[in-house]
Amino acid sequence: MAKMWINMGPQHPMTHGLWNLRIEVDGETVTNSEPVIGYLHRGWEKMVEDRTYPQIIPMADRLCYGSSYTWSHVYCLAVEDLMELEVPERAKYIRVIADELQRIASHLMWLAAIGPDLGNLTIFLYAMRERELFMDLFQSLCGARMTYNYTRIGGVRNDTTPEWERDLVRTLDFFEKRMVEYEDLVDRNVVFRMRMEGLAPLSAADAINLGVTGPSLRGSGVDFDVRQDDPYEVYENLDWHPCVQPDCDVYARYRVRMDEMRMSVQIIRDALKKMPKGPVRVKPPRYAPEGTGMARMEDPRGESLMYVIGDGTEKPFRLKVRSPFFVTLSAAPVMVNGCKVADVPSIMGMIDVCMGETDR
Amino acid sequence: MAEAIRSNKQRSKELGLTGFILKPLALTLKQTLKSTVHKPTTVLYPWEKLVLPDVYRGRPGLRFDKCIGCGVCMRICPNRCIDMMEVDDLPKEGVETPKKVKRPRVNVGRCMMCGYCAEYCPTDAMIVTPEYELASFTRGALIYDPYQLQYDGVPGNEVHILEVLPAELHTGAAPRPALENKDLPSLEDSKCIGCTKCAKACPVDAVEMKEMGVNEKGRPIKRPVFDNDKCVSCENCVEVCPKSALCMKEVQ
Repeated sequence: MAKMWINMGPQHPMTHGLWNLRIEVDGETVTNSEPVIGYLHRGWEKMVEDRTYPQIIPMADRLCYGSSYTWSHVYCLAVEDLMELEVPERAKYIRVIADELQRIASHLMWLAAIGPDLGNLTIFLYAMRERELFMDLFQSLCGARMTYNYTRIGGVRNDTTPEWERDLVRTLDFFEKRMVEYEDLVDRNVVFRMRMEGLAPLSAADAINLGVTGPSLRGSGVDFDVRQDDPYEVYENLDWHPCVQPDCDVYARYRVRMDEMRMSVQIIRDALKKMPKGPVRVKPPRYAPEGTGMARMEDPRGESLMYVIGDGTEKPFRLKVRSPFFVTLSAAPVMVNGCKVADVPSIMGMIDVCMGETDR
Repeated sequence: MAEAIRSNKQRSKELGLTGFILKPLALTLKQTLKSTVHKPTTVLYPWEKLVLPDVYRGRPGLRFDKCIGCGVCMRICPNRCIDMMEVDDLPKEGVETPKKVKRPRVNVGRCMMCGYCAEYCPTDAMIVTPEYELASFTRGALIYDPYQLQYDGVPGNEVHILEVLPAELHTGAAPRPALENKDLPSLEDSKCIGCTKCAKACPVDAVEMKEMGVNEKGRPIKRPVFDNDKCVSCENCVEVCPKSALCMKEVQ
């Protein structure tokens, strides 16, 4: 049978956001593939050169709809590095808590998306239901459900209230019980596991060479986590460890994300215990000095990085974004080639697509 | 990949009828029963609405009488959807023709509800409101003039900045409102031509032109004097200065 090219996307249930995976098929087997991106390009990096430093924070939220908090966080870290500004201790803990809440919410979003991709609609409803709890937590913390605008250069927008901390502890207790239900539905489901186990092997050497980071890298057995290897904020004071799975297949990537949700719950509990009292916000300087600032952190999708060049004015001269999914996407041909067409959604869904940050 | 498929087939044989079909079915049935005896998670939206917290950021609202028309909201808006508009002041007793005042007008169609205008407002005139149903049939209807923008709000609707200076981070200083460590305008005397533009631009009358002797031609020299208590750090004087004689002095 003659080979032919198929466009999976840009409008396809597998492509969360707009992107296109062109695959060459020989019968049912994928022999070649090529991701096509750029449908969501907004010129973000150029756009922010015309905004002052505080104005960019809500725009950084718009980079990724799934994990907007982490993007404004990494932006503030980069600018604080440029301005050499010290952040209050309490603000650091609040940032870590919000960061881990965002990680849980983002992973639940991924779980909700991967369910229908693999024909399991129940897990979509369950994950979305629990994500709502975390959205509500953010809503009562900072007033918005998805684009929080919560970090500030030199701290966070507002302090937490005792009621919010009580709600947070209750939500975490409730969520841990619900995690067992997800594992009942997915891990103990034979059909689901047969579609994931042994599929799309990505060896540790391949993953490192292609620059894959985050859960996809840890699913290949590489113990690398920016929170552990280049700790920012207060991660070194907290009791946690990165979640690593050695199997290199789709199921390993799935397990890493499920374990990370549990680990996030543990981190939040520990941070709540160790959180000191004090101010949460420092007055930032009006003008940034000439020089460069860089910060990287562990996004739910991998390692996100921002590099900012200041020229002594109130606007940045240049702001570079390293998107984790943009790099992970380059591993798509390695993972997809040789699989069946029906397996492509489960492979690509499992690396947690977010096009907003990729195309910027 | 052929090996993987064969192994899956082998596996389904190994698991047999019980492991492959009956056990998962029983599990699903258990979950179904669990979730049927449950309150519904959703609400019937247009008739029934979720309770929103006071801090919820919907469209911006304006307390008309508190606003001083300083334009801080216009300058901080990341989307530039706010501009200052000259409107009649609110009708007052004993005043026949209300005077013209500057108030913000917001293009809600472009607003991204970041809440910066409420946060940076020096007099808490801009607030966040819980209004989120903003759809309209025309784009023009989305441009809210200051009267449409009015919203009384409840006490939780204001956003305050509570911060400390970087220098006093380890001294245990209590956080205080941003207006207490504001930046102040400072004058470079040799550049000033005494045009009084800054005094006219000041929304709180904190700039006063004082005569400082006479020049060589015998004409009076006028220089602005700033009242630091009244100043709201809005930068209007810095912006209008034709000779760039003013700049904001940073408090560190």
